[in-house]
Amino acid sequence: MSIINSQLPETPPDDEDTYLERSAGSRRSRFTRHVLLCAIGVVMAYPLLWMISSSLKPSGIVFTDLALWPSTWDLSNYPRGWTALSEPFSVYLLNSFVIVTLSIVGNLFSCSLAAYGFARLKFAGRKLFFALMLGTLMLPGHVLLVPQYIVFAKLDWLNTYYPLLVPHFLATNAFYIFLMVQFMRALPTELDDAARIDGCGPFRTFWSIILPLSLPAFATTAIFTFISVWNEFFTPLLYLTDPQLYTVPLALRQFVDSDGQSQWGQMFAMSFVSLAPVIGFFIAGQKYLVRGIATTGLK
Amino acid sequence: MIRMAGLSGLGLSLAACGRGFGGGDDDAEGDAVQLNMVWWGDAVRAEKTQAALDLFQRKHPGITVKTEYQDSQPYKDKLATRFAAGEPPDLLAMRTDSLREYADRGALLDLSQHSGILDLTGVVENARRLGMVGDKNYGVPSGLNSIGFVVNKTLTDKFGVAIPDGNSWTWDDLAAFARQVTAKSGRKVYGTVFEAATLANLMVFTRQRGEDFYTADGKLGVTEGTLVTWLEMIEKMRTEGGFPPPGFIDPSIGSSPDKSYLAKGTVASQIIPTNNFLTYNKAAGGNLVLLRMPGEAAARQRGQSIDTPALWSVSSKSKHPKEAVTLLNFLINDVDGAKAAGTTRGVPANSTIAGEIKATLAADDRTATDYLIGLQAEKLPPSYTYPIGSSKLYGILSSLSSEVEFGRKTPAQAAKEFLAGARAALAK
Amino acid sequence: MSVSSDASTRAGTPTPPRVDGVTAASIRARKKLRNDRAGYLFLLPWFLGMLFMVVPFFASLYLAFTDYNLLNPPGWIGLENFRTMLGDAKLHQSLKVTFVYSFVSVPLSLAVALGVAMILNRGIRGLPVYRAVFYLPSLLGGSVAVVLLWRYIFGLDGVVNQFLGWVGVEGPGWTSDPQYALTTLIILHIWTFGSPMVIFLAGLRQIPALYYEAAAIDGANRFQQFRSVTLPLLSPIIFFNLIQSLIASFQTFTQSFVMSNGTGQPADSTLFYNLYLYQKGFTEFDMGYASAMAWVLLVIIALLTGLNFVAARYWVFYDN
Repeated sequence: MSIINSQLPETPPDDEDTYLERSAGSRRSRFTRHVLLCAIGVVMAYPLLWMISSSLKPSGIVFTDLALWPSTWDLSNYPRGWTALSEPFSVYLLNSFVIVTLSIVGNLFSCSLAAYGFARLKFAGRKLFFALMLGTLMLPGHVLLVPQYIVFAKLDWLNTYYPLLVPHFLATNAFYIFLMVQFMRALPTELDDAARIDGCGPFRTFWSIILPLSLPAFATTAIFTFISVWNEFFTPLLYLTDPQLYTVPLALRQFVDSDGQSQWGQMFAMSFVSLAPVIGFFIAGQKYLVRGIATTGLK
Repeated sequence: MIRMAGLSGLGLSLAACGRGFGGGDDDAEGDAVQLNMVWWGDAVRAEKTQAALDLFQRKHPGITVKTEYQDSQPYKDKLATRFAAGEPPDLLAMRTDSLREYADRGALLDLSQHSGILDLTGVVENARRLGMVGDKNYGVPSGLNSIGFVVNKTLTDKFGVAIPDGNSWTWDDLAAFARQVTAKSGRKVYGTVFEAATLANLMVFTRQRGEDFYTADGKLGVTEGTLVTWLEMIEKMRTEGGFPPPGFIDPSIGSSPDKSYLAKGTVASQIIPTNNFLTYNKAAGGNLVLLRMPGEAAARQRGQSIDTPALWSVSSKSKHPKEAVTLLNFLINDVDGAKAAGTTRGVPANSTIAGEIKATLAADDRTATDYLIGLQAEKLPPSYTYPIGSSKLYGILSSLSSEVEFGRKTPAQAAKEFLAGARAALAK
Repeated sequence: MSVSSDASTRAGTPTPPRVDGVTAASIRARKKLRNDRAGYLFLLPWFLGMLFMVVPFFASLYLAFTDYNLLNPPGWIGLENFRTMLGDAKLHQSLKVTFVYSFVSVPLSLAVALGVAMILNRGIRGLPVYRAVFYLPSLLGGSVAVVLLWRYIFGLDGVVNQFLGWVGVEGPGWTSDPQYALTTLIILHIWTFGSPMVIFLAGLRQIPALYYEAAAIDGANRFQQFRSVTLPLLSPIIFFNLIQSLIASFQTFTQSFVMSNGTGQPADSTLFYNLYLYQKGFTEFDMGYASAMAWVLLVIIALLTGLNFVAARYWVFYDN
């Protein structure tokens, strides 16, 4: 199947000139394109803008004041929303931060090791294992839910962070392994040969040569991991019982709880706070993200 | 420099969520006993509960209480997990419709064995029965409440509609009242709104027609006819305009008082649990009138009953059962504790205590307390624990009543399906 | 080390066998062993991870035939779970909800993604900005914050209904009417078209302009160019994304849970399969039944994927 194409396709450089070269059509058609894209852009951006705008309005007028620019400003939604839940929001942010950081560390650690093994080492069964790894990419994870939960329950790890972190340290996410494999394969093999001549074993080669050169792939992995783990809802919902351990997504849900007395403005304020890191990482790491999914999506 | 900041930040984080890595200590140092107490509620209730717990810990220096709360929905979802996964809490809030599930599984402590520590003489028989299964006592009401109709007098005065007499009005009177409010306000304010699926409402209606929602032997006692009449009555109110149109009750709003339609001023009356009267009144502008449920005077039997929003239970696997029961006894019988805890969970179950703290209550709480004390003095149908599987009934009825609301099922169909579904749920 | 690697890599010099009885073959064998060891060592975390996936995979198959509630040991009940599933109306409803959602939202979002990618591909100033604006929602679409936001945007007096009111349409209670609740989630999914769009864009850029010019010379108009050049050359990517998106959409949970506060309301119209599985397995602790449900879903997904692969022969063009 040519889908499982192990050669990294040559993606042309990602700059505007390439596009302008191909800029086809008359001025009028370009104008219509701009109009259309702008319209779509506005519709796409509107929900987020409305959310930010509502977080700056007093809760009473959130549904009556249609303008994006608040007619009355109310910045108190942020400090009040911060303390509106059973714990100050900083607790949830800290919890999420710890989990995300450790998840990134785990992913980088385990996936880079596995990727190096697949990309650079020869060993019995490599092709089979590689195919197996790719197979897990397509595996619907829900089928593993119940037994994994039972395992964690028997290990007495319910209501701890271990179930959320351990899978990351075990290279269970084939997407990142594949990403790194693609990247490492593109590195020239002469480097390995040179290292071998110098007497480096596979680990030294990995640590001193391949690792430093793979930083772009690691950056992509780190950013993707951050975004997906930060937003993760199901696994924390499943394993965490104590509200003090909640991550940001679980905490946000408390705003719509039936007993709670928090206001909409505060909820939108904290929603924005929870999305800000993702948006931040996106803006900073856009390049890596786009290249990352283009690479794996184009196989 | 960044590394320093990063490291210290990391240190703080690890300290803060050390529990996440199993770092929590179960027993404090030395001989001190630490109790784990969980319940559902909101920040206001948390504040008051903590005040009561502080008092308790001062009176019992050897016991510390670590408590935690969350919203009722996640609490309900996670309750089973708490028992399944190792360490169940010592003292916990138990739903009346889930009590049997846990009691029958042996997960709860039989409190009647600890009558030396737990004194229930101040609690009336009807209230005590709420937690009893046969002779065994698995839960004590954390407070007593009932349901009541609240009417926003500001709105009714504004539109010139008279509020019916709460002690004698019928469901027809309610329909007429609601109709008038909607008409006179030009559909800006609807007369009344309440959920067809809230079992507390339906139970009152059922009892008034001479049936028991749950029979003594744990089967479904409500008849199809009653269900059909209930749903048809609401739909009729909707067509006449007293009830808001379909889709008005936005499920995303939640049911907290300050987000309620009463607070928004879009409906003039609502059914609420009496222990929330204070918060509803505050949210709706302070001019709410608390009435009995309609239909009581002319009914075959009284519909209203004394209920509790939550029972306190002790887990049978608790490592410190005596201390847990001591805490329970404090919460029920200590005057200072009751004063501190307030009435967010309802009127104190111990009627002596209820009388003693009345003077310290806010005016609205006193209204609610008087209402309940008044009810307690009347001859009401007995309370009982709900059979196993009853926690599923609300979900079944909620789906079906939604479909009736949007005209996708007739009340007759919905009633039939509810009975089938409910019987299947209770049979398991 | 008894074998010097220098000897074997010195260019052009054949390696004479060492005199102490170690042959070239055994040198290779030892090297192979070392290589194998190295490889397995690097893959050790992955092996453990695979164990952590493969064992549960088969364990859940076993559990599907048992009655298990975590407290008591599993009791074998054969096909009982599956028989119950046949009569479980809520299960059928959840299947219906999931199917409708997947088969409506996935093709729609891919179509929008492809359309926008093609507009962008024709070259436009400020493309990276547009691309960023379109892509960001796909990163946020699965977050609790956005699903909550959606609940309020589509409320009875939310922004959507207010806009509809401007054009004279009276919007329904999107989140309270069982007929429309799912639509809000479908719209949410389409809002996240940015991710496949980026992939399509990269794929479109790989198609040499040459082909389009050749087709234009042959007299093909833009639509025909699309059909004869774009679609075939892009088809493997479209195909792959279709499968991935379908598989992912069948496992939707967060949107369903947060939109309905875990209940599937109104009237089970947002009760996705995974939500029902969660309810059964982790709040009611009927884990045997949940495992059976998981396997049924797995089979359905496998069948669908298989069907897709079969159908692929008719429209996916591989250039080998």
